[in-house]
Amino acid sequence: MSEMFKRVVHEDWTTIVPMIAFALMFGVFVVTTIRALRLGKSERERLATLPLNDSDR
Amino acid sequence: MSTPATQTATIQYDDKTVRQFMFFSVLWGLVGMLVGVICATQLSWWQMNGKFLETLTFGAVQADGISYLTFGRLRPLHTNAVIFAFVGNMMFAGIYYSTQRLCKARTASDLLSKIHMWGWQLIIVAAAVSLPAGLTRGKEYAELIWPINIAVALIWVVFAVNFFWTLAKRNESSLYVALWFYIATIVTVAMLYIVNHLSLPTSFPPSYPVFGRRQAGLVRWWHGDTAVACFPTTPILGIMYYFLPKAANRPVYSYRLSIIHFWSLVFIYIWAGPHHLLNTSLPRWLQMLGMLFSLMLWAPSWGGMLNGLLTLRGAWNKLRTDPVIKFFAAGVTFYGMATFEGPLLSIRAVNQLSHYTDWTIGHVHSGALGWNGFMAAGMFYWLAPRLWKTKLWSVAMANMHFWIGLVGILLYVAAMWTAGVMQGLMLGEVAEGGTTLKYDFVETLKAIQPQYILRSFGGTLFLLGFVLCAINLWKTARSGQPHDDTVEVAVPVRSHDSMKLRETLINDPVAYCILGCFTLCLWFFLPPYANVAALVVTILLAIKAIHGFRTRGAKWIDWHERLLHNYLPFTLLVFIAVAIGGAVQIIPSLIVNREENVEGRLQELYTPLELAGRDIYVSEGCYNCHSQMIRMLMPDVMRYSRAGKEDDFSHLGESLFDHPFQWGSKRTGPDLAREGGEIVEGSKFMRTGVRDNVWHYNHFMNPRQTSEGSNMPAYPWLFEQETDIKALPKKIAVQRKLGVPYPAMNQHEIIDKARMQSLEIANNLAAAKVLQPAGLEMDQEEFAKYLADRQVVALIAYMQKLGTYRIQEKKGPAEGQPLDPDSYRTEITGNDDSTANNE
Repeated sequence: MSEMFKRVVHEDWTTIVPMIAFALMFGVFVVTTIRALRLGKSERERLATLPLNDSDR
Repeated sequence: MSTPATQTATIQYDDKTVRQFMFFSVLWGLVGMLVGVICATQLSWWQMNGKFLETLTFGAVQADGISYLTFGRLRPLHTNAVIFAFVGNMMFAGIYYSTQRLCKARTASDLLSKIHMWGWQLIIVAAAVSLPAGLTRGKEYAELIWPINIAVALIWVVFAVNFFWTLAKRNESSLYVALWFYIATIVTVAMLYIVNHLSLPTSFPPSYPVFGRRQAGLVRWWHGDTAVACFPTTPILGIMYYFLPKAANRPVYSYRLSIIHFWSLVFIYIWAGPHHLLNTSLPRWLQMLGMLFSLMLWAPSWGGMLNGLLTLRGAWNKLRTDPVIKFFAAGVTFYGMATFEGPLLSIRAVNQLSHYTDWTIGHVHSGALGWNGFMAAGMFYWLAPRLWKTKLWSVAMANMHFWIGLVGILLYVAAMWTAGVMQGLMLGEVAEGGTTLKYDFVETLKAIQPQYILRSFGGTLFLLGFVLCAINLWKTARSGQPHDDTVEVAVPVRSHDSMKLRETLINDPVAYCILGCFTLCLWFFLPPYANVAALVVTILLAIKAIHGFRTRGAKWIDWHERLLHNYLPFTLLVFIAVAIGGAVQIIPSLIVNREENVEGRLQELYTPLELAGRDIYVSEGCYNCHSQMIRMLMPDVMRYSRAGKEDDFSHLGESLFDHPFQWGSKRTGPDLAREGGEIVEGSKFMRTGVRDNVWHYNHFMNPRQTSEGSNMPAYPWLFEQETDIKALPKKIAVQRKLGVPYPAMNQHEIIDKARMQSLEIANNLAAAKVLQPAGLEMDQEEFAKYLADRQVVALIAYMQKLGTYRIQEKKGPAEGQPLDPDSYRTEITGNDDSTANNE
């Protein structure tokens, strides 16, 4: 795998950019998904009802 | 993580600012949509470019066209009015209303709110005056001139300060997801706007954009696409997450999904800009990047749409009676449709057909009319009774607005889809034998006229619906009294916003991430053995991170939880996320050796007169209908390339010195990239391209005389107004500062060259005994002198220069930099009057 990246880096370094982009995006997606799934039920419900907690129902 | 309260406070919200923004949104919405309808009719009836005034004024106004009313000048007014005036004001109304309530705090500064509100309206007025006057930067969605841009930046800073100050004063520790979308809007719009509008003024108000050529394309669409993402999408999603639960009186369907929706959208949208430049000379990796990320947008967009629609679960019965729910449900559905279609159009194969045609226009309008227009209407109908403490004046009229608007959108979008697909197919159809194209451009234009008329009708219906909305809101306001909500809120013990920058960035999760990325890079780049060591270190780090999470997991989670209760670190992370996306696309373009970009073809420099002509081309908004980019597609090359030239699609080097670049995004007329030609024998400057000077002269005077069935406006004022020759020295000085390798010339040389070239062209026209403008009866010599000073001659000079280049010989892969200005200057000193294509 290292060889694959080396070839990309040496032959046309710009093609590595989409790979980095994809890795970053995927990383963020995984982190936020884990974070969202681990959010406690009570906190989740409290946050979801925030717009309803004012005078303008 | 709710925070205990110790005391309460009474707060009166600032709803006056909300009312004002709402009023102006409706007002500018009417103006923007009316201008849109006029623009639509101009494409069916050329007389709508000013000739119609003859009928309206019973002959008092006599003109084939009025400069202030042409499509090229009105179309930017329409797009700017709808995006920045209608949607902008609507978005500010929604943000000011919901932020105060979500923060349980009055807006931080009434003064800043006033400056923001009135400043924004002044900017809109300045745009409404300058754009029809032909004062433009010539970059789509970034047309406003530099003094207005400075005002936009300042007012945006005022808005940002007021918003973040309100967050800092808040009496609710958590940041609801709608606020995240607002933060992302403020950060991204600020960054994109500033980068895309960097210009060097030549005087007041003209300027040249700093970015030219490929970077300009990228920056423009990085801005253009993200302007679409961050102005009419992210804030409206925030508004959806606040107002939809309020209207349905139930919480958002899945708060988890809203979190994933936000972060995925923020990370992906910023990467998708290159999908506007597919099949062009843009490097393939960037095209693939744009396509890949556009396709990935399907997931978060549909996640958000489903989250919105499912919030209405259990409230669907209200659809029958409540116009607010109707508008919101249809608006969110249109969001789903538009965000399905967007990635679809980003697939290179689909883009071949859709790009430069009305299919894209249909896509944009399903978003603008369906998503933005209906979300705005839903929000206004919900807000008006609360802001004036009364009932909605007429529910029936609101329902009528909904149905008229819906039919209008559907007619509009269906007409544009069929027009786009039909014209795209016709343009690519080859004649029997397969060596020539079957249809002339103008034939394809005539074929889609029924759809154009249908589009005008659909747009008019939507406008009519919005007029009903304006009347309804006006009557509602008149039936009540302006009302500012007063509420009792619990003031929490302050534990939020206490996170320091050091705490944000220097901690275990961030450290492991940075070290992991660093050692991974070492694995890629280091020589054998050392790379294995780097890989081992990466694996050890991963094991250590997992161990750290198992033993101190609660602390890690607490760090992330606290991040969401601290707006500054949150904003910083959003900024980093957005900046990475932009930097990855643009920085390689800026640092890669220019020689690699030119691919052998290097654009000929414009002579002073041609540069003046180019500025007229930009000022008249010709780029709204004509592209200058022959894509790497067989139908494009067959239609627009020159006989005997191989690979005659547009190469990057051919627009290397264009500030601003004029690749365009829609072909209502044919591409002009190869319009020019070689210098005429015996002339010093004068060129003749695909068509001669007389053809262009007649075409600008009356396009239907040369192209039967053309919908292009006539340009009679070009035959009256003089070219601003005296401004050329300053303009060329600015071009040189931007890196365009003009040889050193003093102002007399510049002006003399311009006059010599204009006289050559004028003599040629006068000798051909072209029709003199109405009211003139001059002899040939006198007429030539008259013409030489007119704008039409400068514009003809520019048209005849388009697509000329010379071949940049490469001496070897490791040789120097031929685009270095000094070396270029030395090279052309002996012959700086340019040579024709010497391929």
